[in-house]
Amino acid sequence: MSQVIHQFFDVGFMLEHFGAVLEGFWLTIQLLVVAAVLSLAWGLLLALLRQLPGRKFLPVRFVTIAYIDVFRAIPLLLLIVLIATGIPSLTFIPKSIRIPEWFGKPDPFWYGTLALTITYGAYMAEVYRAGIEAVPQGQMEAARSLGMNHRKAMRHVIVPQAVGKVFAPMLNELIALMKDTTLVSVIALNEVVLVGQDIQSETFNSSALTLGALMFLVVILPMARLTDRLIARNQGRIARGSHIEVA
Amino acid sequence: MLKLEGIHKRFGNLEVLRGVDLDVAKGEVVCVLGPSGSGKSTLLRCVNLLEPPEQGEIFLEGHDICKGPGSGTGESSWELDFVRQRVGMVFQQFNLFPHKTVLENVTMAPEKVLDKPRSEVQAKATALLERVGLSDKLAQYPERLSGGQQQRVAIARALAMDPQVMLFDEVTSALDPELVKEVLDTMRELAAEGMTMLVVTHEMEFAKEVGDQVVFMDGGVIVEQGSPADVLDSPREERTKKFLGLVLER
Repeated sequence: MSQVIHQFFDVGFMLEHFGAVLEGFWLTIQLLVVAAVLSLAWGLLLALLRQLPGRKFLPVRFVTIAYIDVFRAIPLLLLIVLIATGIPSLTFIPKSIRIPEWFGKPDPFWYGTLALTITYGAYMAEVYRAGIEAVPQGQMEAARSLGMNHRKAMRHVIVPQAVGKVFAPMLNELIALMKDTTLVSVIALNEVVLVGQDIQSETFNSSALTLGALMFLVVILPMARLTDRLIARNQGRIARGSHIEVA
Repeated sequence: MLKLEGIHKRFGNLEVLRGVDLDVAKGEVVCVLGPSGSGKSTLLRCVNLLEPPEQGEIFLEGHDICKGPGSGTGESSWELDFVRQRVGMVFQQFNLFPHKTVLENVTMAPEKVLDKPRSEVQAKATALLERVGLSDKLAQYPERLSGGQQQRVAIARALAMDPQVMLFDEVTSALDPELVKEVLDTMRELAAEGMTMLVVTHEMEFAKEVGDQVVFMDGGVIVEQGSPADVLDSPREERTKKFLGLVLER
């Protein structure tokens, strides 16, 4: 038993390496924030493209749906490796883009951001879509009958309501995104897992990795509670009949 | 003001409108009656091109508004802007925007569509809401209002765009009986002020009292039309008699 505690939960060891692990976790957080903002924006754009009306936009809808299907089906890990190993070889792209080191972040950070955004953009698009489709048809008709075009109706009437309806599933996706940032360790980004792994291979003690796990818990557990609370509140509102859900 | 000629509309294999002609003069109130599935609501939705008709012409203030909407959705076409800014519509289920306050529901379209300054739009919306008797509800959200109050907000919202014609699609059908009167009273006042109105309704008394013309529809065509006294009190057609008999029997 004491061996288990020493191997995984050595408090002294954790304190000794706290600074290094926290530095790795800070990079994880930065990757999360950048990828989350980009995925949320890209996902919304995809969802809106998918909802464009009329025969005229059929090709746009088709391409969008194909994109969403394809990138939900490709493993994120494979995509990360593909991007990080492939793009640097494309010499027709200027070096500052091919091997990006923007804002003082190393190139794996940006390859990871790109892969996460491509994949999670597709996931987010599906979440937005669920929200948009949950807004009663009458809302669009009311907006259109008041002279708003499709774009204005989406912006002022449909999307604000849609986002409110999918807040909880959106948070769930963000939690999944945060955990998946660790996959970027395979292309040598010094985030929390790689830092912990390096310490482990030098000292044969896994406590640095456990410390990383604890850091995830500190951030994600409150998010999970918040999600549950939002779901409960939403259901309460529906039960009280305050959502104007009309048959 | 509004003239419909040979309107046809089908959904898949179902032909909902099979050649409808209708003439609505300025300031006139036309009440459309008929059993459910007779095409009444579809007719209204054709007039503001929510459902563009496949065949036939609609003239609004002399302009043919059916020229182009067949092209896809008619998105951003001239006809659509022309129509939607001249024709207001009130729905059976109110369709207020639940994420906006009562005042914002009324100001949204003038502000976002007509780009009018906020102060002007708000003053006008406040006046309209006062007119429908809701000046104490401006900051409330729709969910706090009764059905009758919500429907009056919906009327004020449509009026905020200064429509030339108002369409009412069974606007009292979703209301509790005691709330019907307040909505009908608002519509009576509107009619008295000279608004041109096309009203799909089951309220016979309202049709009799306020209607200048009553139209009875069945099976996608107009079966009978004329003054309320003619159509409601001494119908000529068997189908009209039967329908009125069933409605008045209640």
